[in-house]
Amino acid sequence: MIRSLLKLVSLSLLFSQLISTVNASDLIETEFLIDKVSSGELPPVIDRLPEQPKIVSFSGEFEAGQQGGQLRLLMGKQKDIRQITIYGYARLVGYTPDLSLEADILESVDIEEGRIFTLHIRKGHKWSDGHPFTSEDFRYYWEDIANDPDISKGGPNKKLSIDGELPVVEFIDELTVRYSWSQPNPFFLPALAGASPIYIYKPAHYLRQFHKRYQTKERIAELIDHYKSRNWVGVHVNRDRPYKATNPDLPTLQPWVNTTYPPSERFIFERNPFYYRQDSNGLQLPYIDSLVVNIASGKLIPAKTGANESDLQARYLRMDNYTFLKQAEKRGHFNVRLWSTAKGANTALFPNLNTKDPVMRSLLQDVRFRKAMSLAIHRHEINQVIYFGMALEGNNTVLPGSPLYKPDYQTSSAGFDLAQANELLDELGLVNRDDRGVRLLSDGRPLEILIQTAGESTEDTDILELVHDNWLKAGIKLYSIPSTREVFRNRIFSGDAMMSIWSGMANGLPNADSNPAPLAATSRYQYQWPQWGQYFETSGKGGHKPEIKEVNQLMQLNHDWRMASDKSEREKIWHDMLEIHRQQMFSIGVIAGVKHPLVVNQFLHNVPMTGFYDIEPGAYFGIYKPDTFWFSEVRR
Amino acid sequence: MGSYVIRRILTMIPTLLVISMLVFVIIQLPPGDYLESYIAELQSQGESVDEQKIAFLREEYGLDKPIYEQYFHWVTGMLQGDFGYSFEYSLPVSEVVGDRLFLTILISLVTIVFTWMIAFPIGIYSATHQYSWGDYGLSFLGFLGLATPNFLLALIMLYFANVYFGTSIGGLMAPEYIDAPWSFDKLVSVLEHLWIPVVVIGTSGTAGMIRRLRANLLDELQKQYVVTGRAKGLPPGKLLRKYPLRVSLNFFVADIGNLLPQVISGAEIVAVVMSLPTTGPILLSALQSQDMYLAGSFLMFLAVLTVVGVLVSDLALAVLDPRIRLQGGLEK
Amino acid sequence: MSRQHEIEHYVSSEPFDAHSIEALTPEQEKYYLASQWTLMWWKLKRHRLALICGIILALNYGSVLISEFVAPYNLHTRNTDYIYSPPQSVHLFHEGRFVGPFVYGRDYKLDMDLLLRTYPERKDDVQPLRFFCRGDSYQFWGLFDGDFHFVCPPDNGTFFLLGTDRLGRDVFSRITYGARISLTIGLVGIMISFSFGILMGGLAGYYGGWVDSSVQRVIEVIRSFPELPLWMALSAVLPVNWSPIFIFFGITVILAMLDWTGLARAVRSKLIALREEDFCTAAELMGAKPSRIIGRHLLPGFMSHLIASATLSIPAMILGETALSFLGLGLRPPITSWGVLLNEAQNINVVALYPWLMFPVVPVILVILAFNFFGDGLRDAADPYK
Repeated sequence: MIRSLLKLVSLSLLFSQLISTVNASDLIETEFLIDKVSSGELPPVIDRLPEQPKIVSFSGEFEAGQQGGQLRLLMGKQKDIRQITIYGYARLVGYTPDLSLEADILESVDIEEGRIFTLHIRKGHKWSDGHPFTSEDFRYYWEDIANDPDISKGGPNKKLSIDGELPVVEFIDELTVRYSWSQPNPFFLPALAGASPIYIYKPAHYLRQFHKRYQTKERIAELIDHYKSRNWVGVHVNRDRPYKATNPDLPTLQPWVNTTYPPSERFIFERNPFYYRQDSNGLQLPYIDSLVVNIASGKLIPAKTGANESDLQARYLRMDNYTFLKQAEKRGHFNVRLWSTAKGANTALFPNLNTKDPVMRSLLQDVRFRKAMSLAIHRHEINQVIYFGMALEGNNTVLPGSPLYKPDYQTSSAGFDLAQANELLDELGLVNRDDRGVRLLSDGRPLEILIQTAGESTEDTDILELVHDNWLKAGIKLYSIPSTREVFRNRIFSGDAMMSIWSGMANGLPNADSNPAPLAATSRYQYQWPQWGQYFETSGKGGHKPEIKEVNQLMQLNHDWRMASDKSEREKIWHDMLEIHRQQMFSIGVIAGVKHPLVVNQFLHNVPMTGFYDIEPGAYFGIYKPDTFWFSEVRR
Repeated sequence: MGSYVIRRILTMIPTLLVISMLVFVIIQLPPGDYLESYIAELQSQGESVDEQKIAFLREEYGLDKPIYEQYFHWVTGMLQGDFGYSFEYSLPVSEVVGDRLFLTILISLVTIVFTWMIAFPIGIYSATHQYSWGDYGLSFLGFLGLATPNFLLALIMLYFANVYFGTSIGGLMAPEYIDAPWSFDKLVSVLEHLWIPVVVIGTSGTAGMIRRLRANLLDELQKQYVVTGRAKGLPPGKLLRKYPLRVSLNFFVADIGNLLPQVISGAEIVAVVMSLPTTGPILLSALQSQDMYLAGSFLMFLAVLTVVGVLVSDLALAVLDPRIRLQGGLEK
Repeated sequence: MSRQHEIEHYVSSEPFDAHSIEALTPEQEKYYLASQWTLMWWKLKRHRLALICGIILALNYGSVLISEFVAPYNLHTRNTDYIYSPPQSVHLFHEGRFVGPFVYGRDYKLDMDLLLRTYPERKDDVQPLRFFCRGDSYQFWGLFDGDFHFVCPPDNGTFFLLGTDRLGRDVFSRITYGARISLTIGLVGIMISFSFGILMGGLAGYYGGWVDSSVQRVIEVIRSFPELPLWMALSAVLPVNWSPIFIFFGITVILAMLDWTGLARAVRSKLIALREEDFCTAAELMGAKPSRIIGRHLLPGFMSHLIASATLSIPAMILGETALSFLGLGLRPPITSWGVLLNEAQNINVVALYPWLMFPVVPVILVILAFNFFGDGLRDAADPYK
């Protein structure tokens, strides 16, 4: 049985090798670059692609297409051009639309015991300027950046270490790199696959000229003067920003390369001649020749989109623009689609369990109070009024699209039940009320909850208005306190704020292999327990230890997950953690699964009709491979 | 005359110095600094924050230095032409600014010319036909322009210009021309887009100018020499042109001192709404993200523009009006 | 000389009064003895446009006192069944018959393709409006409860004179309540800048010398600052977690701080001119203190001018508040002012689909126009040379 299985596997591997080699010889020259190839400026396509390029095949609603065309995008600020790095989504390993990891830039990754990762680079893979991409680029990062005492004063990026242990990095040959730890590191590959990833490779041949070790003192002095930096490190950091895409001279592996020097209102990204992906017909990807990013005020972007100024737009569009865009659809050359967001909750209330006021703190730490607050929220009304009934009402938990989903997680204590809410509050001893009907606390003060908002969207204020009235019926008076982002965060961290409103779980579509840290108190930015999270983050130097038994259980489970040896164990841990959240309701989710409008040029193909639009885990468009989007009719 | 000019220029310097201090203090007042608001923004977008990079940047940008040192560094830099570093754009301020200063001045100038062209005839007509229907009607229109909040007007005009004329929304030209070299098409596109902000900003300034011109002209028209002229038989048109108008012209030039700050400030808000590539939108976002040197430099630029504009108008007035030169000062 | 050409004459039997030519008739007496305020009022009465505007302003400010009464709904009332509902017109005649003020009932239809809410009228459903009735409850100025309204929606019906917003709140009611903030900001701001301007201008004009030059420098610095950027910068400083009242006063102070310069200059120049007059010297010789001289002798001479200028500055404050709130730097929800309402209206959805949300611009324009014409009239009336 095993032997025949092995035979099958090896046969199919052989077969796919054959297919790859057959396809590689049928390569078609990229039309956009034909002039440069014939003049000798660029090598022919067979030398520009790696020997084993990544081949993308199509099925279902997607089909192989043609090259050509210019995709226009609208962004709100110059900084937003980093979105192109996210959309391009060329990563060492990447997520597929069904959220499994696959080797992308790398040809393959061998994993042993979950702790030894051998990365295999594609032979003949070149940077966007034609220089070979080899393990030297990984070495430059590890030795000349991450471990350089001037550039990285505190040592390499903390995200690469497990329990404080740094990896052992070996450069086995030109095409092989190995990262190993003594314990399993399930965070390594997801970190490489993230929308804003950890870059463990850099274009060494380009960056060397800015490094003290490889450059003359005089030239370094000149550079410091030119870039108005304090020292050579500033120059190096300035030039080495692959994520931000602000340096057109920096070689990259992304499908499109920025050719415009900032500052500008208009950025043009041109195709990367040495891009490593191709389609099954022998055409080098990306299909689209160039991207044009126009910068305009965020408030005007819905209007401009409706006026046909964008070919693919989701950013800066909101659900309340849908009607306007649908009407503009008739006059325009685009169609409007609705994708889903992927957050565990688009809006959730976070009772600050670390708030300073002792009476409020003990009340907020009592699960019955949190449940009462949740039961007094009329989520259905909110859904109808603001989201046309198209969103999901329920708790801040995993979405139905996740394999870990259970309906109970979503609906437990999330219905609208004023009677039960009042009962729970009575049970807590808050029976006395003042003349407005607001309950009184044990020290005689009225039960007033001040909810901090970051003042960014009217949605939050609207939801709070709707919540306010029903809470009043339960005897709770709600005040919303608008702030700016920094003040908002600082008040939560310090404990001055007793409650806040923000979005919930960043990734609402996890599976057993996803990191469950967001469910435990692992970060200051978890607004329900900022100081416990800080305690974990700083390994005990800041914040303080969690006082609630269930939270400590979550911390333990989070640790166990890392140590788990197989998938079923990890799955069980996830469910345990989700169950604790269901029982304890540490955050009060309001609404999830809000739709996001997407405007697509009518001639643009291979953009899915439905999908989910979020930075994590989808990298917005990344996992749907924008390099495979193509125009059936090119605008003259 | 020469001493007057020199005196005016000399008094400008301490004024500008005080303004620079005020500007810097105001920029620093909001709690936190650029990096804090940067971190907050990254967090809210769900992107990862590299704490080490932040600590490095804090040192690199000098945000760990005391305030007076940062101020001193900035002011001395400005005098040498170095306006500091923009954290948001990771570029020196002078590179971020680019075309924007030029475009701000362009829009302000065009708006002032537009305001003149409208206010001048209306003001004269109002003064000579006081209390007539024409007077009331035109004044009313002028005031209507003053009373309408120009940002709302801008948004409405943008939308209708797009629906009826196909003008692309916002900006000073259609996107294709943004980095392209100047050509006839580009000029046409700029003009197509320019009229909306000019009209929107200009209408608010027009009313005030009409009213002031009218008041001034009325004062002049009641003076002795006008009566004498009329008694001597000068035709009214010639009478008007020869004497009171010349005096009012003086006033016109002097009024730039009033008009310029208003135009510049009006231009800022309209630019924000219409996403024009001038100083407005950048200033607003720089203030919000506490991009210190960028915001400070822009505020200084606007203040300098105003001060210089007032200076030019005062000097022009001194040239035109001998009373000022002879009295050696200007009592307004 | 023949008798028939004799001119009729008579001789008065009253005793001879040597001063009869100089004596004043009662009307003349009234005129010459009238105080400057009475004179101003008489002149103002003749300027009909200014009077009308004055009445409009009085009405507006008056309504601020009784906003709760005037508005058909409470500020926070939500009708979640009538989101983004267009304005309802008031009809008087139904099928030819006079019925009295009424509105037609409405249905609710959701266009699922466009996700657009439509409200077709039911022409057979006549819903008369109620006047002087009991409707939404409110807290009058936050002090005591009441529910008496000038006009209420019909029973089981709705009365949205200017439509509703995204939460189903009546736009007309919100504008009425918003007037409270927008109009008083102008007044409070003016009072601050007025007092400060007179103080600074008075000191500069009276004392002269270095006091004068330093005040002039300060004025120049402030005037050189483009208004809006300074407002933006200062508003960014305002701690946003202050209670609404503090933010309100913070904003008025910020607006006033840039406004007092015009007044100060006017006061200063007038004082410099009048300072040399004889009556001033006389008062000084009699031992009057400077404050008395300024306050009792100099200022009243042109107080009318000052008031006229002040009136003309109020519109700038109202517009300033509107602009700041529009930029998101001034007042924010849950405070309701015209600026906040306009902020919520400045997006493409409103312009294209729900234009009635831009109605708050109408009272803004009206009030500003009224202030301008009224102020003009005041200034004309105060000017002794006309």
